[in-house]
Amino acid sequence: MLDTLTHVETPEGIALQLRTAGAMPRVCAWAMDALIRFAVLWAFSAVLAVLGKSGVGLYALLLFSLMWVYPVLFEVLRDGQTPGKKFMKLRVVNANGTPVTWIASIVRNLLRTVDMLPFGYAFGLVACLGDARSRRLGDMVAGTLVVYAETPAGASTVPQAPAVHPPVTLALGERAAIIEFGERASQLTPERQQELAALLPMLTRANGALAVQRLNGMANALLGRR
Amino acid sequence: MKQELFQSRHEEEWTAFARWLDERSRPKANARALDGEGVFPDGEFPTAYRRLCQQLALAERRGYSAKLVQRLRDLVERGHLVFYRPRAPRLRRVVDFFAVEFPRLVRAQRAAMIAAAVLFYAPFVGSILLLQVKPELVHTIFGPEQLASFENMYDPASKAQRIGRESGSDLMMFGFYILNNVSIGFRTFAGGLVAGVGSVFVLIMNGVMIGGVAGHLTAIGYGGPFWRFVAGHSGPELTAIVISGGAGLQIGMALIAPGRRSRGRALVEAGAIGAKLVLGVFAMLVFAAFVEAYWSSIVWIPAPVKFTVGGIVWIAILLWLWRGGRDRADHGS
Repeated sequence: MLDTLTHVETPEGIALQLRTAGAMPRVCAWAMDALIRFAVLWAFSAVLAVLGKSGVGLYALLLFSLMWVYPVLFEVLRDGQTPGKKFMKLRVVNANGTPVTWIASIVRNLLRTVDMLPFGYAFGLVACLGDARSRRLGDMVAGTLVVYAETPAGASTVPQAPAVHPPVTLALGERAAIIEFGERASQLTPERQQELAALLPMLTRANGALAVQRLNGMANALLGRR
Repeated sequence: MKQELFQSRHEEEWTAFARWLDERSRPKANARALDGEGVFPDGEFPTAYRRLCQQLALAERRGYSAKLVQRLRDLVERGHLVFYRPRAPRLRRVVDFFAVEFPRLVRAQRAAMIAAAVLFYAPFVGSILLLQVKPELVHTIFGPEQLASFENMYDPASKAQRIGRESGSDLMMFGFYILNNVSIGFRTFAGGLVAGVGSVFVLIMNGVMIGGVAGHLTAIGYGGPFWRFVAGHSGPELTAIVISGGAGLQIGMALIAPGRRSRGRALVEAGAIGAKLVLGVFAMLVFAAFVEAYWSSIVWIPAPVKFTVGGIVWIAILLWLWRGGRDRADHGS
């Protein structure tokens, strides 16, 4: 229940990891969208007021578009992101990880009406909190998820150190852990690095800064640096 | 192969892929004609994407560092979003939808549509007839202000330029009808998710209200302008209400009686059907709003013309729903 990762297998045989977004970021994204829509409405109402009764008609059409068309158009044409979702780095995708389709987007946005019942998105919130993948009712029927749009990770950043070959043969997971130690070293204080390195006396056969350096050396060796 | 070697061997490919995603996944209108300037041609994207997938699988299998795997995963995910992007709707597809798919879908949901029609037309006809016998019952449906406004709008003695409205230009009323009627149509469908209760409620309410107005105005002798007003747009509007109600009922049924599917599966399928039906309803209501604002309200057109046009529209709508897409071979959509 704590893990929000959803694994989706693609036709290419890859397991995509989708991190579903909880209620809070989604509420923020919704509030952003609401704000934007009010701003647009307000900006146009000043212009349309000049046009008199025809202006009222255009205002009604604008209100209709903002209410029903805005989310669908943005979600389908902008990679699942309304401006609010883009700001919160969220994205709507189909449950299989593919970009949201027209019909799915229409369903999830029409059924907002039910999620809003009986007041203030109460149904949607309860559904969202009760569901392992944080879907509101509209998402369940449309078969969609709201996930975090990943930010690209940088290249590997293991600090350069003279390569040290590990004294024992390491398993796959152990090797990955040592390389990760090297990659994360820049985010840790030297004290914490030493503390972590001290957990592996059998491997480093040293203490303090030397142990850290040896671990980094092993990471270098595992990466294939000389 | 050690990670560093793997990385240096493919680094160029990955940066090219990332650049392609940045520049070519949504090319600006003026750049659309250029093909992979400085990166690789758009036609090679699928190959590049599959290679990347294979490299990710290798990286995971060989236990390369989390950061590298994460980087490849991000690239794959972005590529996946581009690769499986839905097609832009084409005119042909839109025409096919309205000419073939929509009427077929309505007929396929026959049971729900008939139920919705009964739920709407029974109270509608019932309240019209009842108000002819007991006109005073209208006060149980409408307040005195509402009644006064109806009577004002359809007063045969009125010198107003337009029927069916107290004031306002054609465009204003068009906007108002779109906002109001289409939203009602959408909510009628959505209400179906609450086990169909919302749709049933809206259908019956609308039947009683519309029937109440019609019955009351007929009973007090204002029927002439009223029926002339509604003749033109009643066909698409009432049919659209019934179809959106039917769309709501079928989604309610999927929740109550999913049959041999899981409830989630049944809801997803019913949701897709409902969305398509609602698209048709949307088009019908826009048409109805247009007729209502620009044709129905014209005072000087004589009653026979209005009723003939209204009749033709009714027959056309019913023929469309009954025969549409029947003679066409199925393309397997």
